[in-house]
Amino acid sequence: MARLFRLWEKKRGDRRTGSRLLGGLGEVLFAGSLFLLGVALLTNTIASRVHGEVGYGFGFWVLALVSISLTILGGTGFVLGVLQVGASRERRSALAKRAQKMDLLHEAPRQRDQFPTVPHDASLTNSPGTTLAFRLPTTNYSAVRLAASTIFSLLWNAIAVVLLALAANRWLAGHPDWVLTASALIFVTVGAGAVTYFIRQMLVHTGIGPTHVEISALPLYPGQSYDVFVYQAGRLEVTRLTLALVCEEEATFHQGTDVRTERQPIAEYVIFSRDDFRIEPGAAFEHQCQLQIPESAMHSFQSTHNAVSWKLVVRLDAVSWPPCERSFPVVVHPLASVVPSA
Amino acid sequence: MDPLISIRILRPERVFQPHEMLACEYQLDAVDAAELAAVEASVMWYTVGKGDEDLSVHYFERRTPGDVVDGDLRSLRRFECQLPNSPLSYDGFLVKICWCVRVRMFLKGGRDFAQDVPFRIGDVPRVQFTPPEEAAAE
Repeated sequence: MARLFRLWEKKRGDRRTGSRLLGGLGEVLFAGSLFLLGVALLTNTIASRVHGEVGYGFGFWVLALVSISLTILGGTGFVLGVLQVGASRERRSALAKRAQKMDLLHEAPRQRDQFPTVPHDASLTNSPGTTLAFRLPTTNYSAVRLAASTIFSLLWNAIAVVLLALAANRWLAGHPDWVLTASALIFVTVGAGAVTYFIRQMLVHTGIGPTHVEISALPLYPGQSYDVFVYQAGRLEVTRLTLALVCEEEATFHQGTDVRTERQPIAEYVIFSRDDFRIEPGAAFEHQCQLQIPESAMHSFQSTHNAVSWKLVVRLDAVSWPPCERSFPVVVHPLASVVPSA
Repeated sequence: MDPLISIRILRPERVFQPHEMLACEYQLDAVDAAELAAVEASVMWYTVGKGDEDLSVHYFERRTPGDVVDGDLRSLRRFECQLPNSPLSYDGFLVKICWCVRVRMFLKGGRDFAQDVPFRIGDVPRVQFTPPEEAAAE
C-alpha cells in the first residue's frame, strides 16, 4: 500500500470501480446524444438559411462547422462504442491480432509473429560501419531541445520586449506604472535565462563534433559479447568520456486529459571511461572495446503504452563546454528465441 | 452465489520457457447449463504499473452451447498452445509484464465472470532498483 496518497497520481489497483457494461452504455448514450445534437443544429442552421433568416455570414459558417463536428464526433463515438460494448477485451484483442496477420505484404508482420513486442532492428542495421558491421543511429534529443528552446525564447522575449516598451513609454511620459515595470523586469529576467539555455543548447548541438558508435552484430542477446567502436571528433579538452549500456523503462499514462510519459533508467553498465585527454581536428578519438550483455537482461519490449529499451550512451565532459550526452538505441532479443518455421 | 471457474495449468510450478507447450484445463460450476451463453478462454499477457494497461491475447477460443454435443459448457475442457518467444514475464520498476490463462463466462442475462491463473515465461529476475530519491532518504 502506498505510504502517502497522491492526488494527481495514476490510480493503482483495480482499474474499474463500476460495471463495464453500464460504462459502455453511458459512453454510447453520450455519443448518441452528441450526434443527435449535431444533426439538429445542422438542420436548424440550414433551414434558417433556406428560409432567408440568415445569410452566408461568419455566424452561419461557425454554426455549420460546429454542428458538423458534433455530428462526426458523436457518430464515430457511437459506432465505436457499440462495437466495443458487446465483446470482451480478450476477444477484441484476438480479433485485432488476426487482422494484423492478414497483412502479408510486408516483412514486418512476419518478424512480429516470431518476436511479438520486440522492436524491429531494421532501422539500426541499414547503415554499415567503417570499422564494425553496423553504425548505430542516434536519438537526436539535442536537436529537439534546441528547437524547443529556440521557439520558447523567441516567443517569451517578444512578449518581454513589448512589455518593456510599454513600461518605458509610461516612464518617458512621466507616469511610471510600477506594476507594469515589475512585470516587464520579471519577463526580461526569465527571457535572459531562456536565451542562455538556448545558447548552451546551440553550442552543444553545433560546437561539439560528431559522435559515432559502431557495433559488431545486431540484435544483441543476453550473455553474449560484442565489439563496440566509438568515434568522437572535434576540438576538445576532454575531462571524461564514458560509454555505458543503459536499460530504461518507459510508461505512458493518462492524467486527466493529459497524456504523460515517464522514463526511468533501471540499470547502467559502464563499458569504458577515459579521463583527461585532448581531441584535435583531424585526430579524432577512436576506441574499440567489448560489450557484455548481462545474462539476466530483459529483452527490448515495446507495446502501446509501455516499453523496456536498451541504448548505448556516450557522455562527454569537456573544458569550457556544458556536459553532453548522446544516445544510440540497440535491440536485445530474448535468449532462448526459437524461430518458428515460416 | 457467483458461478465458479476452476482453471488448472498442467505444470505445477507454472514456469515455462519460450516456445514450450502450455496445457490447461478448466471447468465451470455453480451455474445452470441453460444460463450459459458463451465461454472464452485466453492465454494472454498484460502490463501492470504506472503506464496504461496493454494486453495481447496469444491464444483465444470462444465456445457457445451450439459448439458442444450436449449444449453443456460446464464440463471439463482441455486445451494446449505453444507459447511465443516474447514477451518474457518481467517485474520491473515502472512496467510489469504478467502472463495468465483467463477464462470468462457470459450468462444469458448479460453478466460475465472471469478468473485468471498466472504463470511465467522465462526467468528474468526481478529488477533490483532503488529510485534516487529513496536512496538519498536512506
